[in-house]
Amino acid sequence: MAALSEIETAPRDRLSRARALHWGLAGAFGLACIVSLQVGATNVTLLAMLAKLAQGEALSQMERVVLFDIRLPRLAMGMLVGAALAVSGAAMQGLFRNPLADPGIVGVGAGAGLGAILAIVLGGLLPAAMIDLIGNQLVPVAAFLGGWGSTLLLYRVSTRHGSTSVATMLLAGIALGALAGALSGILVYMADDRQLRDLTFWGLGSLAGASWAKVISAGPLIGLSIGAALMLGRGLNGLALGEATAAHIGIDVQRMKSIAILAVAGATGAAVAVSGGIGFIGIVVPHLLRLASGPDHRTLLLNSALLGAILLVLADVIARVVIAPAELPIGIVTAVLGAPVFLWILLKRRGLVEK
Amino acid sequence: MSLIAEDIRVSYGRRTALRGVSLTARPGEVTAIVGPNGSGKSTLLGAITASLPFDGAVTLNGRDIGAMKPWELAAQRAVLPQASRLAFPFTVIEVVRLGLQSGTAGDSPDVPMRALARVGLAHYADRIFQELSGGEAQRVMLARVLAQVWTPVADGQPRWLLLDEPVSSLDIAHQLQVMDIARSFARAGGGVIAVMHDLNLTALFADRVAVLAEGQCLAFGTPGEVLTDDILSRAYGCALRVSAPPPADIPYILPHAATA
Amino acid sequence: MRLCTRTSGQLAALLTAMFGAFVALTVSAQQNAAPVSPHADVLSLGGSVTEIVAALGQQHRLKARDSTSSYPPGVTDLPDVGYVRSLSPEGVLSVGPSLILSEEGAGPPEALDVIRAADVDFVEVPDALTTEGILRKIEVIGDALGVADRADGLAAEVETALSAAMADAERPEADKKRVLFVLSTQGGRINASGAGTAADALIRMAGGVNAVSEFEGYKQITDEAVGLAAPDVILMMDRGGDHGLADDELFDMPSIRMTPAAQTRSVVRMDGLLMLGFGPRTADAVRQLNDALYGQGA
Repeated sequence: MAALSEIETAPRDRLSRARALHWGLAGAFGLACIVSLQVGATNVTLLAMLAKLAQGEALSQMERVVLFDIRLPRLAMGMLVGAALAVSGAAMQGLFRNPLADPGIVGVGAGAGLGAILAIVLGGLLPAAMIDLIGNQLVPVAAFLGGWGSTLLLYRVSTRHGSTSVATMLLAGIALGALAGALSGILVYMADDRQLRDLTFWGLGSLAGASWAKVISAGPLIGLSIGAALMLGRGLNGLALGEATAAHIGIDVQRMKSIAILAVAGATGAAVAVSGGIGFIGIVVPHLLRLASGPDHRTLLLNSALLGAILLVLADVIARVVIAPAELPIGIVTAVLGAPVFLWILLKRRGLVEK
Repeated sequence: MSLIAEDIRVSYGRRTALRGVSLTARPGEVTAIVGPNGSGKSTLLGAITASLPFDGAVTLNGRDIGAMKPWELAAQRAVLPQASRLAFPFTVIEVVRLGLQSGTAGDSPDVPMRALARVGLAHYADRIFQELSGGEAQRVMLARVLAQVWTPVADGQPRWLLLDEPVSSLDIAHQLQVMDIARSFARAGGGVIAVMHDLNLTALFADRVAVLAEGQCLAFGTPGEVLTDDILSRAYGCALRVSAPPPADIPYILPHAATA
Repeated sequence: MRLCTRTSGQLAALLTAMFGAFVALTVSAQQNAAPVSPHADVLSLGGSVTEIVAALGQQHRLKARDSTSSYPPGVTDLPDVGYVRSLSPEGVLSVGPSLILSEEGAGPPEALDVIRAADVDFVEVPDALTTEGILRKIEVIGDALGVADRADGLAAEVETALSAAMADAERPEADKKRVLFVLSTQGGRINASGAGTAADALIRMAGGVNAVSEFEGYKQITDEAVGLAAPDVILMMDRGGDHGLADDELFDMPSIRMTPAAQTRSVVRMDGLLMLGFGPRTADAVRQLNDALYGQGA
């Protein structure tokens, strides 16, 4: 039996490194916010405006519009969507015990896409009163309802006797995705030229439609969902041992699954609804963080939120500026940057997944 | 304050795994469950740990386990599974700390290292779990389990170790080490139930033994009472002889003769 | 942990490289500046809208345009704000227009709200598939630019030219040729124009018959449907890539092979904006197509 004297100095602590990363990422996030407000297609810059205010001058109409109606809402939406996608990715990877899971795995992506296509192609068929009520928010609302609807459907299909089987959910998700794809195909066929273009652009994702209205409607839901997800840290750690063992160490596994699925549906559903289909953030961000500071979910979830926000805000700056005065769909930027990083991760795959 | 299993029945579809097994394990003792493959040993442990649905009743320290929440159970008993799986590359010390979540030690910083030291793996604390051999991984899991119920007796109630084939991947020296840990835990006032494959280790370390065969309990008592030619031959379906010396020219190594 | 340190180092290097690329991109993009005339204050969205602005003698007032504006040749030197239904609000504002003339359907709606909030006038020009429609376009644009007199003049010219072209193109039903407008042949499938499109309107104006009119809009049609349509002439846009298939490849396609068009190797290619824009050059488009279908002077 080993004597107590064998215990040397406390082992090197990845946890403290991860906690230090909170501060590092928070600082980087502040920097990203400043860059986002400073840089844009017009020559309006944050620092110049602050200087003006400091000297007591009033801002011009253009400066006010650019800062308060364009850049600030985009910043708010970018950080909400980035954080939502990254945290959802980390939560799903923990829940399915697979580093290749992404937020769409609970059916949100397929459902949201189908909702958006329905709204774009068939939206004109709704009664006029409804169209007046919803205005031009039909696509986001439909996408959100579609995302929620498909998640709830998957949840019902995979839950028996109060116990959810993640394996069933995965398979049912594949089936649902195929069905949504087929229905989308029919709608694509029915679509005219303009609707097809709208569909394509929606699928590529964009923050160009950012507005305070969208931030106010999506923000609280995303915030709540991320908050719920952040509480899953200990539970997801235990789940890495397998569901049975997780229960043995005292985790209420079913409650955790329900919270995780609902939180991801809420956060990702709202994010996709207001910004279209943005990829790679959900998979790549948690991976990078696991490489940097380990898989402990207590810190991984919060760091994912921060890094996701930073990356999407910076990607949006690129999207806005690189082909000004036109704009790249942000999904292209995240794909162009994310795919090489993802490939690099896969090539370096030693010890990243269960043997 | 014992662990009492009454009339446990478990079926998987049409196959009946347990046909009404009853068992009482007392604190301060190591209770072993032995039997051939498919006799229902792990199933019985699964019922006792509330891991699978069963008919019958299990009482732990006077309370029905069906009425207890997962964290209440976790505070009183720790379970060592047969296979150790881990989905993400945690380090060894991080894995052991997982046991602290609902255990009795709180977030006490030195318990994980002390638990690792007890299984002889303190120097592995920063290794990635997936890089370990099967035996080392099993010992790390034992450390986790020990960290969960670090004090064998707390609040006047015994804590329980429920071990499913705890020595299956270990070499003989480590087998003795682990069984010794289990016995010390029992002697300090805790309770231990272990599903065992190895009859010799069972004879050495168990205070009471239950022999299962075909979903039923054939015998329950001390090793001397239960490990007999007749009972074992019936259970395992082959002619076994207890305490009979082997043919002279073939060497035999028994754990009984080893020294710690 | 050695593994962790080495991987962290590579990771840091990768992230630094990405960040450096990002900085380079943003800095280079900020330095773009297109030289424009000092009187320029108009952003024009839509190929035919831009054409009309130029035809009214106001090309010097254009500051920027969208991706479909390709005529007259000078406009392609102007900054391009991208696809009209997916505008960048700050990008549009950075061009600094005081007036935006746009075809129908600009978006996204939030971008337009912001642009209006910045006190930029936004005038929507209604789409047109008829002579009256084209004249209305000219009137709206002329009013917005403050050159209503010139607009009247241009409208009169266009109406005269177009009526003459359409009259010359008239002929008895039995003599009319069946025309199939093919938008694209990507992946070997024919994407053709049904009724209610600019292509359909042009074909009828030029004295032809749309070979497929059972559906609305542009759709993929089956090989058999092409056979049933039995077009005498294939009409296509004159562009590179799949839109501009070489004659041999076109007539080799199984769906086209059996048509009367293939037997006479009759295909007409015209500039896309000229054909489908329904701007001031529509009369030219009608004459050009008519000549191509029936020969000059027919």
